[in-house]
Amino acid sequence: MNNQIFWIVLKRLRIPFLVIIVTFTISIIGMVLIPGVTSNGKPYHFSFFDAFYFVSYMATTIGFGEEPYAFTYPQRIWVSFSIYLTVIGWFYGIGTIISLIQDNALRKAISKNRFTKQIQYLSQKFIIILGYNNITKSIIEHINSQDLRTVVLDKDEIKIDQLVLNNFFPNVPAFVGQATDQQILKMAGINHKNCIGIVSLFENDIQNLKIATICRMLNKKIDIIVKSTSRQHTQLLLDMGLKHIQNPFDIISKRLYYGIIAPHIWLLEMWVYGNTLQLRHKDSFPKGKYIIFGKGRMGQAIIDGLNLADIQYTLYDATSQEYAQNKQSMVFGDTDDIKTLTDLGVTSAACIIAATRDDLFNLTVLKQAKILNPNIFTIARENSLEDTSIFQVSRIDKVFINEKILADITYNFLSRPLATYFIQEIRKQNEVWAEKLVANMKEMIGATAGYFELQVNLDETYALWLRLDNREAITLKDILRLRENRNSYSPVICLLALRDGTTHLLPNLNFNIQKDDKLLFAANAEAFEDLLYIINNIYELDYILNKNTLHPNWLFSKVFQSSKDKTAS
Amino acid sequence: MNLYKIISGFFFILAMTINFGFFYGNPIILAQHSSIELFAAIVINLIATVLKLGDKTQLGAVLLATSLVADIQLIASATVWTFAEYLTKSISVEAVTAIISLSGGALIANTISVILFIGDTLKSKR
Repeated sequence: MNNQIFWIVLKRLRIPFLVIIVTFTISIIGMVLIPGVTSNGKPYHFSFFDAFYFVSYMATTIGFGEEPYAFTYPQRIWVSFSIYLTVIGWFYGIGTIISLIQDNALRKAISKNRFTKQIQYLSQKFIIILGYNNITKSIIEHINSQDLRTVVLDKDEIKIDQLVLNNFFPNVPAFVGQATDQQILKMAGINHKNCIGIVSLFENDIQNLKIATICRMLNKKIDIIVKSTSRQHTQLLLDMGLKHIQNPFDIISKRLYYGIIAPHIWLLEMWVYGNTLQLRHKDSFPKGKYIIFGKGRMGQAIIDGLNLADIQYTLYDATSQEYAQNKQSMVFGDTDDIKTLTDLGVTSAACIIAATRDDLFNLTVLKQAKILNPNIFTIARENSLEDTSIFQVSRIDKVFINEKILADITYNFLSRPLATYFIQEIRKQNEVWAEKLVANMKEMIGATAGYFELQVNLDETYALWLRLDNREAITLKDILRLRENRNSYSPVICLLALRDGTTHLLPNLNFNIQKDDKLLFAANAEAFEDLLYIINNIYELDYILNKNTLHPNWLFSKVFQSSKDKTAS
Repeated sequence: MNLYKIISGFFFILAMTINFGFFYGNPIILAQHSSIELFAAIVINLIATVLKLGDKTQLGAVLLATSLVADIQLIASATVWTFAEYLTKSISVEAVTAIISLSGGALIANTISVILFIGDTLKSKR
């Protein structure tokens, strides 16, 4: 209601309202003053009510006829005059009122109002996502399955319409507005007490930097997740005290490095992102000569990764745009191109990476390479998420999709806070260690082990918390037991414990659990559910800890005991 | 001099004076109160209300509120009259006092509105 627009529209309603009032009044006064005749021929005057009734149905063109008695000629002359007066007045008035209600500015003001209200009443924790596209869509889907909400801002109205048509559940409040506008950010709830983070993954690094700066100014407490693909921007962001800067190319470089040097570390990392624990042929990158097509930001990242892994490579510096200009085609594979490939040593190379910005070009390069050397390992960069199906059928060994990497990492960061720590820690280990851990996990849990996080607090671990509150010492060994048989261990592995900012990778079974510890488990869903049951149910925990002072049916035993006492006395 | 101020001031004051004209007289004798005057009071009040629409200031909001009160009171007065005349056939003393006292309430609202309007005018420097 405090909107400027609302008052302006209300002001514009004055004239139509006045027109209706005045025309009605003139007609009513005329009807009252002109004498009529009853059916018996007696003189008769309209009362104000009669006149109001008649004019109301006349002006709105409902027209019930001449009530209560047939009109005299003077009355009819007045009525024919007032029909034109009131009907025109009525249509003008109503027409203007309706068009004002549909006024674009007013509707925008109303939708703004509604959006602000929606944000105000958000009772769950929420994250502001800037820009709606394929990446953020998959982030929203992930987040919505957790106990978290999202708010979306996009400057493009069509994108917001797409989001509305997508029918997310729970509902995602969305609004059209510039992400760099402070007012809009405030409206989206950046200062709201439930706002925990903001995600800005725009293509443009400068825009991301700008948004990060504004958000840092507006709210110092929230997490800002921002994409940055160049070193100097990343440095600027680091200087601002931001911890969550995402560079998809940096991630690709690291992945390539671990894929070559330590496939099992890479496997564990992929497991965190939801893959199974099975190392397929495709997942271990070969050690041999590499050929890189395209020297953009991605090519540079790949070179960094290969240098780190001490792998030989040949770089072919071709951008897809240049190729398109020279050959008037995006399809790679005429005789010149085949010569280029053989000159690069495709027949003796172990792996070829197509990292240009054009999907079709990447595909055809890899296809040609595969023809020349059927054993070559192929890695492609996929740029647009729309045509995933082509990449799926083209039998490329490994496809890097920037968008997907970003979406996965962002989602992990938002809803699996321990994943980042875990990945950091395992990267410090060596391949032998990782292979052992993977073998261990596979043996105990199976290749489809699930990823679970837990925080020791009153909400998530009620019974355990009560015991810890009594200053009891409880170790991992004590609770990781089977519900059926407390003497054997349950198939749950604690991978990481986080306490006061220090991480303990693979804490051993004598690890003392303390309040507010954050624990990361690998287990299958059933075993983890059992674990949750144990640490939340007092009696279950008593049994598991072998401190079972109460009979399981303690109510029954109480009744039984008291009746026994009575008979004894 | 502002034409809009003249017109709106004219209607605000006219709404009060016509309302007074209807209200003035013995409150139990309906013949001393003209139905035409009541009709005129309603119409002028509605016009005054519309003229007050869309003023965002605090004063504007209070003016609109008083005007809406007057409208409701006067329309209620006319409704009671219509009911008494057409549904109960004879107008009882109770109905007459109700009609007049409702318009009396509207008169108070209109008076407040005019006082506020004059106060605002005196306050402004030009």
